[in-house]
Amino acid sequence: MSGERRERLKVVSLNCHRDADGVIFDHYGHEREILSTRILVMLAQCSRFFSPNTFDLTLKFVYHISMHLQSLLAASFETAANNLLPARLQMAFTLGFHIILACFGVGLPVLLLAAEWRYLKTGDELWKLLAKRWAKAFAVLFAVGAVSGTVLSFELGLLWPEFMGRWGAVIGMPFTLEGFAFFLEAIFVGIYLYGWDRLPPKVHWLTGWPIAISGCMSAVFVVTANSWMNTPQGFRIVNGNIVDIDPIAAMLNPASGAQIVHMVVAAYLVTGFGVAAFHALQLLREINPVYNRRALTLALLLALPMAPLQSVVGDWSAKMVAKSQPIKLAAMEGHFETSTRAPLSIGGIPNEKTRTTDYAIKIPGLLSWMSYGDINAEVKGLNDFKEENLPPVAVVHVAFQIMVGIGSLMVLISAWCAINYFRKRDWPKSRFFLWMILSMGPLSVLAMEAGWVVTEVGRQPWIVQGYMRTSEAVTQSPGVWNVFYGTMLIYAVIGIAATTILWQLGKVPIESEENQQEEPYGA
Amino acid sequence: MGPEDFLMIVMLTALTLYAILGGADFGAGIWEFTTALQSSEKERTHVYKAIGPVWEANHVWLIFVLVILMNGFPLAFAALSRALWLPLIFALCGIVFRGTGYVFRSYTLGSYRERRVWEVVFATASTATPFFLGNCAGAIASGNLIITESGNYEADHLTGWLTSLTVFSGFYSIVMCAYLSSVYLTREAFVAGDKELKKLWRQRALSTGIWMGVLSFGGLVMVWLEAPALMEGFRTHGWPLVVLSLVCGIGSLVEVWRMNTTRATFAASGAVASVIWGWGVSQYPKLIPPNITSDLAKAPDNVLWMMLGIIAIGAVFLLPALGYLFVIFKSDQIETGRDSLL
Repeated sequence: MSGERRERLKVVSLNCHRDADGVIFDHYGHEREILSTRILVMLAQCSRFFSPNTFDLTLKFVYHISMHLQSLLAASFETAANNLLPARLQMAFTLGFHIILACFGVGLPVLLLAAEWRYLKTGDELWKLLAKRWAKAFAVLFAVGAVSGTVLSFELGLLWPEFMGRWGAVIGMPFTLEGFAFFLEAIFVGIYLYGWDRLPPKVHWLTGWPIAISGCMSAVFVVTANSWMNTPQGFRIVNGNIVDIDPIAAMLNPASGAQIVHMVVAAYLVTGFGVAAFHALQLLREINPVYNRRALTLALLLALPMAPLQSVVGDWSAKMVAKSQPIKLAAMEGHFETSTRAPLSIGGIPNEKTRTTDYAIKIPGLLSWMSYGDINAEVKGLNDFKEENLPPVAVVHVAFQIMVGIGSLMVLISAWCAINYFRKRDWPKSRFFLWMILSMGPLSVLAMEAGWVVTEVGRQPWIVQGYMRTSEAVTQSPGVWNVFYGTMLIYAVIGIAATTILWQLGKVPIESEENQQEEPYGA
Repeated sequence: MGPEDFLMIVMLTALTLYAILGGADFGAGIWEFTTALQSSEKERTHVYKAIGPVWEANHVWLIFVLVILMNGFPLAFAALSRALWLPLIFALCGIVFRGTGYVFRSYTLGSYRERRVWEVVFATASTATPFFLGNCAGAIASGNLIITESGNYEADHLTGWLTSLTVFSGFYSIVMCAYLSSVYLTREAFVAGDKELKKLWRQRALSTGIWMGVLSFGGLVMVWLEAPALMEGFRTHGWPLVVLSLVCGIGSLVEVWRMNTTRATFAASGAVASVIWGWGVSQYPKLIPPNITSDLAKAPDNVLWMMLGIIAIGAVFLLPALGYLFVIFKSDQIETGRDSLL
């Protein structure tokens, strides 16, 4: 390549200009005789292998991306004061990822127990095969869940040191208890997954019980900690110091009962519908109908009774929110004006400027009745609260609508199955039913995530409702944005890898597995 | 002795168990890392098989230490989270990739190359994690973390934790894990009764054991130079544990040499345990020297007593379960281990 062309390429492709002395500047005004330019010029020398236009474009693209990353990097190390947004995103993202795995950690052991129990009862090897194949999926999900849970426990301190330092003694007890529950779970997961051939069948089945119980207890304890953040109690504040800490009272806070049951039932719903969706897909593709029918039956037997139960628990939960966090309730409903005989808004988008919830279907009196059991009760609207204490209304309202909408769909499916069962003593046979179940897999996860958004975003701007703002709790360490980007990347990799491996496991034909290796490879 | 002292004993015990059991699991990956280009499929299978059923449980000791710190000593937890921001994030990356790498490798049905990719991920992460956790331990032990009595960190977040002692302790913990794991895997090779593996791991255990001894002396010199306060602690009341560590370390080498592999594993564990207890005893009653003492950082006494109650009750469930796990997967070895003495 001639020297002249190289110069031209350098200037053109970098979108730079040259001053009288021949020094090159880029359009940011920085002098570009730095390493990255040199590397780009070296790259440019390879340009004879490509058509000039494509190469110029690529070069420009790479250059812009790298400049943006550089400036982002520089900025993100400087702005330790503005850590609130990246820290919240980081927490939301890692928790939102973990919560899916945690749900399967709570629910799948129940399905494993059921399948293996059928095997012990009937001696039918197909049941055992089902249990073993579910167990493999469980092993993958549990391992990813264990590490993403570890990330969360560290993040409590790394992202919110002021929160943990001040409130650790009050909120810590459920975490200590959760430590034990998780420990027992991990021990018995090891025994269960690797013990198929080492233990008598009955004993092996029994070792599944501690997994199911401690998985559920883990959820109970962790949600207890979260519900305390919504309705903190079990301490007194004297001169700004926390005194008279009563960890038991903190754990038995008003919100814990409803929130715990709501979450555990949600975990069973997610597992049930998630597993059912996979087997419904296999049935739609007409693969191993006998095997997949059985699997679908067990999964639906877990999920379907939970759906109507969840609507009752949800009602309990909403009444609790109405009593303890009226702002959150108003945000959930997009309810701006305080009113008696308050209407329930279904759908709609809250507009925080005009302070109305547009396009909603309003059912008069229903909100008052659902919150307080009286259609004439007064429900406080968002306008009656201080502006600085309001959560992002639109997010909370929309998330709540998604959760309730999907929940109602689940109840409808339950009713359909129940009616069909009483009439024909069988599942609905249509392909439409299978399609519905298939769609409920991702939808149930979406509903659970939306519900979690309601409770977490609805509590903002507080980290401890009424006592500590999230902005006061956040870390002062630099580079939180970078950590967030890195986490997104890492979680994308492990998320995709885990999905791929689960998909591979699901695709193995069951005939080939009946005489296959008994334990995971190399173990 | 107040409740905080009991709690510190529990915490140090849990940390010791994490270092020994979790450390040996990391060590397996470190061996995989250092021998990546020469190890055979058989050697790798031997390594993966050994840690399969137990690594998840062993990992929980770390969570256990963390929740006790969080609940019992919230000030120290917050202070360490501030001061060790960067090494903890790196360690977390390692933990994530170690766990996922292991399980993806075990369950992937893809090509041989795909499995190799996860093996590399597992091995690299297994090496990086103890390095960064060792960094954290070194940073605490050195007394160089500038933390005020209110738990605020007043040095640079990116580099404040880095000193020659922390880098040394990072590498020291890598070697420690490798040493533990080589002794444990020698025992596993004896159980499997594989001549080739027995010879290989015996050699590795002996050579790493000697390196471990050399580094431990080097470590004492480093502490003497870099952390005079800790050295003073060693001199006044930590020294019996240093001696014990030396005795156990030499004992483990002798037992590996004589092929008493079960005794060797206990001796090696004892050597590592006494290093950790030596550190803990020497800096007592300080949690994070120089400023944060257990008295300063602790939660109110009623909370601590309740924690101790929960731990006592929890132990009733936990210890038999843990024993059961190890009996199922590690005990048949004790009998066969004796049979296969050379």
